[in-house]
Amino acid sequence: MSRDEPSPALELTELDAGGALAEAFSRTRTRAGLLRAGAGVGALLAALGAAEPADAFAASDVDLLNFALTLEYLQAAFYTEAEQVGALRGRARRAARVLGAVERAHVAALRKALGKAAVGRPRFNFQGTTENEQKFLKTAVAFEDLAVAAYKGQAPMIKSDALLAAAISIHSVEARHAAWMRHLFGITPAATAFDQAESRPHIERIVQSTHFVAAQPKTTGKGAPRYTG
Amino acid sequence: MKRRRLLETLAVALVLIGAAFATFVQVSHSARGGEVAPERMLPPPPRPALAIPKPRVLAYSGAEARWSSVLRSVSARAAPRPGAPVAAELPSMTPEGTGNVVLVLRAAVAANGTVWSYVRLPSLPNNTEAWVPRRALGPTNIVDTHLVVDRAKLRATLYRRGRVIFSADIGIGTTRWPTPAGEFYVRDRLAGFNDPFYGPVAFGTSARSQVLTDWPAGGYIGIHGTDRPGLLPGRVSHGCIRMRNADILNLAKVLPIGTPLTIR
Repeated sequence: MSRDEPSPALELTELDAGGALAEAFSRTRTRAGLLRAGAGVGALLAALGAAEPADAFAASDVDLLNFALTLEYLQAAFYTEAEQVGALRGRARRAARVLGAVERAHVAALRKALGKAAVGRPRFNFQGTTENEQKFLKTAVAFEDLAVAAYKGQAPMIKSDALLAAAISIHSVEARHAAWMRHLFGITPAATAFDQAESRPHIERIVQSTHFVAAQPKTTGKGAPRYTG
Repeated sequence: MKRRRLLETLAVALVLIGAAFATFVQVSHSARGGEVAPERMLPPPPRPALAIPKPRVLAYSGAEARWSSVLRSVSARAAPRPGAPVAAELPSMTPEGTGNVVLVLRAAVAANGTVWSYVRLPSLPNNTEAWVPRRALGPTNIVDTHLVVDRAKLRATLYRRGRVIFSADIGIGTTRWPTPAGEFYVRDRLAGFNDPFYGPVAFGTSARSQVLTDWPAGGYIGIHGTDRPGLLPGRVSHGCIRMRNADILNLAKVLPIGTPLTIR
């Protein structure tokens, strides 16, 4: 593929797979989950004195916030891991540091808004893509383009104007990230006149087909100790 | 006739000048923020529902430690290359059936681009450190706690970012079965096992007895409660670090897996 072509050279389906992300997605979609989520956010926002009245958030908006949170978990973990592994140098290293900070801020904001309704943080294993500059940039392009398409796809469904304003403020930042990563990877940062939105089922299919989600390490047990005593 | 045309032209010119002046006055008034009909105003943007905090890059105080789970059994080597001598075999599971973990001290990138991690091992001799391929390890976890066992004072102290958050009297190994000194880490936690000898909670560490090498499961040093609190503080154990049950329960609330352990 030529590096001048507008679309990224990578789709998540080429990269990886798992279960926790899919689980996180599915958990946000059950009716019971939506009701619990709606109640949780309502109580939290009321407690915080948020600008938006708590009962003004529809359960479907809470569901969308959790969808966004799951994608932000993925991105934040990716850049944070890249920084901690320490194998990147130069511009890629700086990008990981800066983007990691921003994605963690997105996670913090979404978790604060969702409170107890927030889906849990999956564990990730990025299969070595945080250890090599080209693999890192290729994956970063895929992540950022995915996030841009996801926010764009969900925006029309958001019922609250205040939530829509917040989502758009994140969406434009993700678009800047996508352009930055594309530039570093060597492909055209903004090659199309119109960006396509992606539907949520499509995003979920992509994520479910990846292998980046790892099992939680089992560091606790109930077996009889055999330490020296 | 000429005079009449002149007056008509003059009248048209005056009307045009008047209209232009009126338009100018209206535009300049609007530009100064004057009154505009409500129906012509754009609504203000809605206040975002999320307060997104200022992005913060990772900052390290020097008190942090990194640990990772062992994804697959692997040979730990003396140098960051496949052919280097094997320092120890690193299994993916502990004898207690929990996932094995290592303390990650630093990383190196080999000439072929492979990333290697320099890790502290749960192996004899104690304090062994060696290299394993990064891909054999899981994601990096960070802790900012540090447990110090002082064998002379018979005291365990847990620090978080350099501040004491827990301290308790302890029992340690006798002269015959001493608690080993060195740099170790906490690697698992057991509870619900219903054995009063170990109390309600037991932590496994990477430290091993240097004398009880034939002990079941390899003679690992644990940190646990006791059914004989009257012996504490004292040199009373087979090498494990014993605490009163109330103390081990309190420690369990604040001691994360991966915490570095210094026994001095």
